Amino acid sequence: MNAIEVNELTKIYKGGRSKIEVKALNNFSLSISKGEIFGLLGPNGAGKTTLIKTLLGIVFPTTGSATILGSDISNYKIKNRIGFLPENHRFPNYLTAEETLKYFSQLGGNSTKNIDKRIDELLLLVRMSEWKKMKVSKYSKGMMQRLGLAQAMMNNPELIFLDEPTDGVDPIGRKEIRDILIDLKNNGTTIFLNSHLLSEVELVSDRVAIMNSGKLLKVGRVEDLTTTKEAYIIETANPIDSDFVNAKYMNTPSANTSFKNINVKLESSTKLSVNVKDNLELNFVIDNLRKNGINIKTISIQKNSLEELFVSLITDERGGTK
Amino acid sequence: MKNIYTLSLLTFREALSKKIFLFFFSVSTFVIVVFALLFAFISPESFTDGFVSSTTTSFDNSIANGIKLFIIYPLYAGGLFISIFSVSGFIPSLLEKGNIDLILSKPVSRDQVILGKFFGGIAMVFINIFYAIFFLWLLIGLKFNVWDASFLLSAFTITLAFASLYSVIILLGIITRSSMLPMVISYLTFFIFSPILSSRDTIFAFVDNKIVSGIFSLLYYLVPQTSDLSSINTDLAVGNYISSALPLFTSTAYIILIIGLSIFIFRKKDY
Ligand SMILES: Nc1ncnc2c1ncn2[C@@H]1O[C@H](COP(=O)(O)OP(=O)(O)O)[C@@H](O)[C@H]1O
Ligand SMILES: [Mg+2]
Repeated sequence: MNAIEVNELTKIYKGGRSKIEVKALNNFSLSISKGEIFGLLGPNGAGKTTLIKTLLGIVFPTTGSATILGSDISNYKIKNRIGFLPENHRFPNYLTAEETLKYFSQLGGNSTKNIDKRIDELLLLVRMSEWKKMKVSKYSKGMMQRLGLAQAMMNNPELIFLDEPTDGVDPIGRKEIRDILIDLKNNGTTIFLNSHLLSEVELVSDRVAIMNSGKLLKVGRVEDLTTTKEAYIIETANPIDSDFVNAKYMNTPSANTSFKNINVKLESSTKLSVNVKDNLELNFVIDNLRKNGINIKTISIQKNSLEELFVSLITDERGGTK
Repeated sequence: MKNIYTLSLLTFREALSKKIFLFFFSVSTFVIVVFALLFAFISPESFTDGFVSSTTTSFDNSIANGIKLFIIYPLYAGGLFISIFSVSGFIPSLLEKGNIDLILSKPVSRDQVILGKFFGGIAMVFINIFYAIFFLWLLIGLKFNVWDASFLLSAFTITLAFASLYSVIILLGIITRSSMLPMVISYLTFFIFSPILSSRDTIFAFVDNKIVSGIFSLLYYLVPQTSDLSSINTDLAVGNYISSALPLFTSTAYIILIIGLSIFIFRKKDY
């Protein structure tokens, strides 16, 4: 059984006065297995928050269906096994950290027995013990996020949704949050993470999805997404003549005409990026380089950063819709 | 059921934390203390300038009833006034962005959220009203040795009148998310609409028009009947025979209907 199963969800917000309809989710499907950290990426307004809110019954889908922990999203009782850190959450400002955790824990169905012990434990974990008795109205954004994270973890949920968890948190705080997430995962918790900050997500997620305008553009393991298949970087000891790339190599009749997928680009005088269809083509390029007296130092698989992929996907998509 | 109870408790706690309860409680205490002092320094004779001897029980009885009659409307009006003010922020603060998402992400149904707010508010108001009424009754009892318990019943009538206004505050709060508008409408209802509509028979005597009287009759059932409940409250307080108990039933039905409608609307909303 998957932790989350989304089947062709569509959500259309009907604008109140403006009568503008927004398709925040467009035939969106996704499944997330138990125990993984899943990162959902997308620019602002992509529909990330809407997806989480739909899964939690805060917003109702226009069409489509979804399950969480094997239970239809309309079943509110399942939510005692779920934690949630909303985007820009606002705790009642007259409560202290301690009271906030107690309040929402009780609402989450926690019997009062071990609440106090758990509160101390979590405040220590998110480094908020010092401010246990301070009213949340005096907190900074970063402190609110830490308390929000503690709140989401309060009832030992099996599945946690975090919407922009590192928003407003300083770099050290971010690292601490990442460590907490990894700890949670090691204890078997499934984590669903929303963010527009790629590096954050890239560092902790097992799998990521990229979405824009309500549509899923790509989903997969970070490693697989950032590894472009059959793209290599060849570094050489001696400089490569640019003619080699342009004329000698690419257009010589001696080049086997069946190798037409080869695409070579000179990145610098000693660095060549090569796109090929298979090993045979790669070896053909190597043979040619060697034949021309070029001394190869390293051959490596080319990696795109997630950011490059993200930007190229989003710009493609924007171009495509226009 | 357990969820509604928890949510009511949490609403109650909200009132405590925001010092709303304390404010209400202080006002009630103030009223009680004023009467205690009044009774301590003024003897029954002074009400009649010492003309009649104060030895007969029937005399004490009528003085006690006079006092009850004198204080019951201010208690009713004042109680409702503070109650409305106290609860007007409950729904808007519930629906604040970043808070409602969190509450709806908990294992509670939307029906329970509204019912919790409703019963929590009622509990807060009832405790304060009953506190004031009970001690006033005690003071009157000690002073005049009149122990007619019917005065205590007005705590329930006042709470019922409050509940009918509160249900409208909840409904309007869900629709508009505002705390000001529902509060203003409640006050208008209480001080203007309901008194006019409850005396609609008098108006009909002057205006002989079927459409006008039809509209008035319709409005009578659309607006909380706080004036009719006030009459019942007064009758109850002094131990009179209640001329018509119908407003008690129509008001209860009204509350159920309006809360039902509130839940119906709340169930469909995206937050
Ligand atoms: N309650 C709402 N009513 C109308 N439109 C909304 C509402 N919430 C979000 N939207 C719109 O839906 C789109 C997706 O928003 P959101 O899910 O918040 O995106 P993200 O979290 O990825 O930034 C945006 O265009 C946003 O303006
Ligand atoms: Mg968002």
